[in-house]
Amino acid sequence: MATESLISAQDLAVRYPNGEIALHHVTFEVGFPSFMAIIGPNGSGKSTLVKTALGLLKPLRGSVGLLGLDSVKNQSQIRRLVRYVPQRDRIELNVPMKVKDIVLMGRLVKKPPPRVASENDKAAAKSALRQVAMEEFWERPFPELSGGQRQRVLVARALAGEGPILMLDEPLAGTDADSQNLIVDALGVYHSENDVSIIMVTHDLNPIHTLVRDVLMLKNTVVGVGAPCDVMDPGLVRELYGPTAKIVEHSGHRYCVTRDSGVDRHD
Amino acid sequence: MIDIFLMILESPFLLRALVGVLMIAIVASTSGSFLVFRGLSFMTSGVAHAALGGAALGLFLQASNIAPWFDPMLGALVFSVFVALVTGYAGETGIGEKMEVAVGVSFALSMSLAVFLMYYIPPVEVPSIWGYLVGDLLLLNNLDIVMLTGTAILLLIAAILFNKEFVYVSVDMEGSTAQGLNARAYHYLMLITSALAIALATKAVGAILVYAILVAPAAASNELLGSVRGVMIAVFVIAVISQLAGIAISLSIRASPSAIAGILAALSYVIALQIKKMRDRVHVDEELEQLLRPALEEILHEPAPEHSHTHED
Ligand SMILES: Nc1ncnc2c1ncn2[C@@H]1O[C@H](COP(=O)(O)OP(=O)(O)OP(=O)(O)O)[C@@H](O)[C@H]1O
Ligand SMILES: [Mg+2]
Repeated sequence: MATESLISAQDLAVRYPNGEIALHHVTFEVGFPSFMAIIGPNGSGKSTLVKTALGLLKPLRGSVGLLGLDSVKNQSQIRRLVRYVPQRDRIELNVPMKVKDIVLMGRLVKKPPPRVASENDKAAAKSALRQVAMEEFWERPFPELSGGQRQRVLVARALAGEGPILMLDEPLAGTDADSQNLIVDALGVYHSENDVSIIMVTHDLNPIHTLVRDVLMLKNTVVGVGAPCDVMDPGLVRELYGPTAKIVEHSGHRYCVTRDSGVDRHD
Repeated sequence: MIDIFLMILESPFLLRALVGVLMIAIVASTSGSFLVFRGLSFMTSGVAHAALGGAALGLFLQASNIAPWFDPMLGALVFSVFVALVTGYAGETGIGEKMEVAVGVSFALSMSLAVFLMYYIPPVEVPSIWGYLVGDLLLLNNLDIVMLTGTAILLLIAAILFNKEFVYVSVDMEGSTAQGLNARAYHYLMLITSALAIALATKAVGAILVYAILVAPAAASNELLGSVRGVMIAVFVIAVISQLAGIAISLSIRASPSAIAGILAALSYVIALQIKKMRDRVHVDEELEQLLRPALEEILHEPAPEHSHTHED
């Protein structure tokens, strides 16, 4: 590790209490700063990797770290640096929170009690909502939004916060093309304008492959890691998504065809 | 008006009942609201029945001279904390359904223990076990009031100090933990203080009133209101009104004030559902009208040229 790494793992294995080995022999390194995607089919251990890096799960073997900090030993330091949005189904909708409360949470959760929102916090929250075109929903109850709108608010929660790393687990799940573009553009702009690295989990590289710098392909272990074009190798894609996935070359462009993500252009 | 005031001041029963009303309302608006937010309304009855098991254990230990110092109330509190701990442990990952199951299991365990121990408790003592489930607003004694006020104030302070933390833990346990919040500590703090308050409230005013007042107003307010603070205030108001109405009615007709208050509180939920339904219908009507208006206007404006046409003829 000569240069600073955004995320790195050495021979990482993670097992759930029920005996399920979600990750094994995971070794890779992605440099800092980066806009990084973790891709793989359902159940490939994407969320597991992210949660282990945040210290929410303990490695069975090996280690994983962010910015050179070990997920177990430096857990509290890591948690101060990261803004995290879990997969959407982890958000409880029975709590009558307003959109503004959710977005402000991204900032207040890192403040000491009593966590009162300052004008500064509110301005940051409003600006974050504007970036995902949700500013007019400020006073609306969060549980009453549509799934895609909720996802945009959660992305705003991450944008409003502070810390050099954004980790988003499936921020594009259940969103239509418009919302996807909005979220992807907002993340891209935010990444280029701020000194912030983004790690996002997705099972579809399609909407983001022009933005991301590094891609980690997971299928319970590392299938491939590198720039989007490098990992778009026919062998790798088939290994990841099964024998029906293929890469088609057409007039100088490479297209990756999978049942999961449809046609995906890489050139 | 002054008559009523004097009557209350002169009657220690009424005075204690009034303090009890306020304290129960505080318990409802704090732990009641948060338990409903977390989908844990069942914990109210789980804790109350676990407390029964604890009281039985206390009576057994006293009657059998194994531990004469072990007060049944102490047993009740220990067992309700036990339910909170088991529930909290199951819910450390933030999944509501798991906590619900844990409540059910620890409830069954404590209740079985209570029934088991009843065989070994002198028969004359057995009714006092059930006494832990049947209190009444007008039968509060000074000890009830002191204990109830103590926990209600504890709960109020916790809710004021850690309001945001409790909300964050309820809405997104995983995200809060991952961003440095000591979510587990707040999670347990919330469940344990709630359990203590439920156990003491049950002893004081009876299980039925506690279920009704802790669950129904919070569920009702949560249907209609869009903010945490709004829900908590509304719960307090509904709880105070239904209990006062319960006492007032019980003074004129022969009935248990707790039972009447319980019925009124439960009704608040039914009414809220009805209001919500009506509101949604109005909403749909408005949407439909907006959708149809262009077409409607087209129809309304359509005859105009036709009209002028016939006029030309
Ligand atoms: N809490 C859990 N207990 C037991 N096994 C689990 C748990 N969570 C995940 N697993 C298992 O670990 C494996 C990896 O799961 P993970 O959630 O990391 O996948 P993922 O790549 O994020 O999938 P998705 O695209 O569906 O979100 C799966 O086989 C899953 O069954
Ligand atoms: Mg996942």
